[in-house]
Amino acid sequence: MASPYSPPMQALIDELGRMPGIGPKSAQRIAFHLLKVPEEDARRLAQSILNAKAKVRFCEMCFNISDEPQCSVCSDERRDRTMICVVEESRDVVALEKTGVYKGLYHVLLGAINPLEGIGVDQLKIRELMMRINDAEPAIQEVILSTNPNTEGDVTAMYLQRLLAPFEIKVTKLASGLPVGGDLEYADELTLGRAIEGRREVGA
Amino acid sequence: MFVRRVELTNFRNYESANLAFSRGTTAILGKNGQGKTSLAESIAYLSCLRSFRGVPNESLVRIGTDSAVIRADVIHDDGRELLIEAEINLNGRNRVLVNKQTLRRTRDLLGVLRATVFSPDDLAIVKDGPALRRDLIDDALVAIDSRFDAIRTEVDRVIRQRNVLLKQAGGRLTEDVALTLDVWDEKLVAAGTVMGEERASLIARMNTEVPNAYDQLAERHSAVELRYEPEWRSRGLAHALAEARSDDIRRGVSTVGPHRDDIEISINGLTARFHASQGEQRSLVLALRLAIHRMVAEAVGSVPILVLDDVLSELDPDRANALIANLPHGQVIITSASGVPEETKPDAIVRIAAGEVIES
Repeated sequence: MASPYSPPMQALIDELGRMPGIGPKSAQRIAFHLLKVPEEDARRLAQSILNAKAKVRFCEMCFNISDEPQCSVCSDERRDRTMICVVEESRDVVALEKTGVYKGLYHVLLGAINPLEGIGVDQLKIRELMMRINDAEPAIQEVILSTNPNTEGDVTAMYLQRLLAPFEIKVTKLASGLPVGGDLEYADELTLGRAIEGRREVGA
Repeated sequence: MFVRRVELTNFRNYESANLAFSRGTTAILGKNGQGKTSLAESIAYLSCLRSFRGVPNESLVRIGTDSAVIRADVIHDDGRELLIEAEINLNGRNRVLVNKQTLRRTRDLLGVLRATVFSPDDLAIVKDGPALRRDLIDDALVAIDSRFDAIRTEVDRVIRQRNVLLKQAGGRLTEDVALTLDVWDEKLVAAGTVMGEERASLIARMNTEVPNAYDQLAERHSAVELRYEPEWRSRGLAHALAEARSDDIRRGVSTVGPHRDDIEISINGLTARFHASQGEQRSLVLALRLAIHRMVAEAVGSVPILVLDDVLSELDPDRANALIANLPHGQVIITSASGVPEETKPDAIVRIAAGEVIES
């Protein structure tokens, strides 16, 4: 079937459609929107994509996104250098930083073990993590495995757990449980089940 | 529970249709190819979120459109009325709303509407390979307790990941591959063991229910037995996977696990798949469905909606009558091309032609 759009329009829709979370319908909607905006707005968008592409890179230590060789966390002298929190993506760093609770360093794997999507151990920054732990000065005391609580995230955490077992390092996992401000009765059974398993003694 | 009304938009061959059902028995009549099975399928979809014929969800959407909607008014035994709206989208995610509230996961719909569907294709459960028998058991487990769906999804996902990993290994078991397999195996052992236990305990219960149902339908006694004895269960899945590893690597696929299980069905000591007559096989699938229907009703304390899609016409009058006589009391929806056997005494009759309701 021939495309109902002119080639430049179809190309734009195709490119937008390759973005994560954007289906053909959304791609179409965004494309039509872009055609309507003033040319300078479109230019600014295009420029900011190129700018980000040119200036933002991965931190050489932890693979968080950064505009310097080392990211703002790694270069911050006040952070606890004996703790590493392992996450799948940079956006997880952002989420954890917003809590203001964690004062250690991060390591971004850039994904999780997912053979179906062609991501194996070698595609992740696992070797770099192990090298970092080996060479760390001061020595790493604790690694917090903070991969996503789904099948692939769990498997990745289990894999790291096995790699880290020979080291004399405390390995912990984020507690999974109930959202604050939520009602117990609305929690799904899996979350509630994990929350029961991970219960803690109160008082003393 | 019962379904009072179903409204279809761009579902299979229906552009739009609105059907009212009796709380008792509703007969849906129409020539072949007019949309009777589509109706049955819409109800089945709401109960298990997929086609009972095993076709991909995309083929439930009317050709030339990109989204189908099923709306249904369901009344629970306690009088609670629920409006279910399910949207099947070719592009993007499917969506389910209950009383206008979007469900966070479509899976949360399981249990809101329960249905047992008898279909002429069911004969394949006895005649074909093990996959349909596993589905029968797993579907029953989900109907009894929808939490089983999470186990089933996990096993399925881990097996798919593991198979890709084995294929990528290209026949060589390197240290890296071994370590990665170890963790997938650990996941598979956790979920697979539970799956095996659940299947075994359901089948143990079926071994009293199915023979009863069979004797009632065939109106004479035969020794019907279900056997679920996968080799891995006797040794433990962890052990079995470890032993199968070199085989798995060589063949590039998971050769051992719950995804390979079979449930053997025998009549008078002979495997039904190979040795039973056509008539016996037909009675057997009816007995399997009927037994599960009763067990679900018993377990959840409410009789699921029963859909008999074109099955009565395939049965001789004695068996058809025996089936009708042995159904638990609940809502029944019967589709037929050739009229309805008198014994079913329908409370309402709906006539269908070319994807439209012409009389109800």
